Amino acid sequence: MKILVCISCVPDTTSKIAIDPSTSQISSQGLTFIVGPYDDYALSRAIELKESNGAEVVVLHVGGPESEALIRKCLALGADSAVRIDGNPTSSTQIASSIVSYVKQHPMDLILMGKESIDYNSGIVHGLVAGALGYTHFNPVMHLDIDGDGLKLEVEMDGGKMDVSCPLPAVLGCQEPIAEWKIPSMRGIMTARTKEIAVLPFDTSSQIQILKADIAETARKNKMIKAEEAEQLIDLLRTETNVF
Amino acid sequence: MKKVAIIAQTKEGQLSDASQSLISFVSSFSPESILLVAVGEVKFTSVPAFKSVDVIQLSEGLWIDSVSIQPLIQSVDGYTVLGIKSIQVDNLLSLLAASSSQEMISGIQQMSYSGGKFSITKSIFSGKASLALTSETAAYFSLNRNFDFSANPAYGEQSINSVSTLTSAAGSKASILALKPITGSIPLPDAALVVGAGRGLKDPGNWTIVEDLAKALGAATACSKPVSDLNWRPHHEHVGQTGVKISPNLYIACGISGAIQHLAGVNGSRIIVVINNDPEAPFFKHADYGIVGDVNDILPRLTKKLQSH
Repeated sequence: MKILVCISCVPDTTSKIAIDPSTSQISSQGLTFIVGPYDDYALSRAIELKESNGAEVVVLHVGGPESEALIRKCLALGADSAVRIDGNPTSSTQIASSIVSYVKQHPMDLILMGKESIDYNSGIVHGLVAGALGYTHFNPVMHLDIDGDGLKLEVEMDGGKMDVSCPLPAVLGCQEPIAEWKIPSMRGIMTARTKEIAVLPFDTSSQIQILKADIAETARKNKMIKAEEAEQLIDLLRTETNVF
Repeated sequence: MKKVAIIAQTKEGQLSDASQSLISFVSSFSPESILLVAVGEVKFTSVPAFKSVDVIQLSEGLWIDSVSIQPLIQSVDGYTVLGIKSIQVDNLLSLLAASSSQEMISGIQQMSYSGGKFSITKSIFSGKASLALTSETAAYFSLNRNFDFSANPAYGEQSINSVSTLTSAAGSKASILALKPITGSIPLPDAALVVGAGRGLKDPGNWTIVEDLAKALGAATACSKPVSDLNWRPHHEHVGQTGVKISPNLYIACGISGAIQHLAGVNGSRIIVVINNDPEAPFFKHADYGIVGDVNDILPRLTKKLQSH
């Protein structure tokens, strides 16, 4: 089985986001980048499937050369090879069409990625890739097991969950508890040094224009109520807000 | 704008208030025609719009690949298609967009249309920032649940033209083995009021005080990641960066310190109340109302106060 895991490289979840005034975009200055947490779950499950059932795992990232250290980490975790599609995507379309172009030339049985990237929160790249390739699509997947020629999945749905039988090829958006995050072994880190990261050109076809980014400031009332007078909270919610 | 379609889930045959607001909202674009694609049963006979609406009801089953959704692709061909974020709506919109080679924008917080161009503010970094963008050609849009429709013109009820049922095309080998709906509690993503609790509760046995308060309010219950990791509460109640993101009218956080990952899941809430015995808990900085005190003392008193009115 050939498994493609698509990863995003995103600011660490504790990052303080700021705007670069010269570009009006999010500043990358001082940010620590990590593999997207949901993508990391997807990769961990792919590595587990490789270990239990045998599979070839390819990691794909759409982004600049600054991401190579994180791609190398994915190789250290056990991915066999990696592809970086070299560009600076500004829309889900560009990321999806770059993935689709690669898969058309390198057919895959299974394409995994996180249910969303935690920076731009679009959550649609898996659906766009599945639609363009004509593959089966499920999202967000919480359990994934090989079942004969296909997969058995537990998928979250609005108001519950469902168990499904999923044929291959398929594109799945993943979330916990599909797998536990893994830490690379020393041996993994050593062997990753010689693994290949192919660099391929980027598909820029998007008509969406980004104007500027802003920091959202939510003004909160910051009113403190004494513990002895806690019941006052209910009165204040009734009189000062219309929440109920 | 020529033709607009809306994809909306129904609940017990009815549209949500947000979906009705969305129909009014697209009416303000003065489209030639409005098509409502209903996921689920249709029991309503009118909707608030500026002209009458055609309704397509999707049959039960899986709409999960470009083969099965083929009939729907044909039905919405040439339409600008909008929906309000949910798992199923976003999955369908993205599959349809790519199957018809159109661009899609999701996470929309504000949106206007003039001179043939959409101007959009998209929420990013879990609501910590926003992105202004424009497009003349994107045709698929997913609006956030807390999209502000308050500036909407009000339209009167229009009876619906026709309801037709669309069945997914055969050919997909996928099948549902079991449906496992969550019963007996208010679904967290839809809840207008939410009571969340964290490790400050000390023991899963103490959760009854959280459930009692939630019941008195008619609220859903939520928890922090450490609590779901400890299996004190089910995973679907985990609110935060890697869990459910909520945007209720009221969020009451009990014994939750307010780690940045938790805030990422709740900062779309309109009013936030924080109850914690640690006056230094970072969550107080992000609260509308704060009470420094023991949750075991405060929560039962709030429940009692609510029950007495």
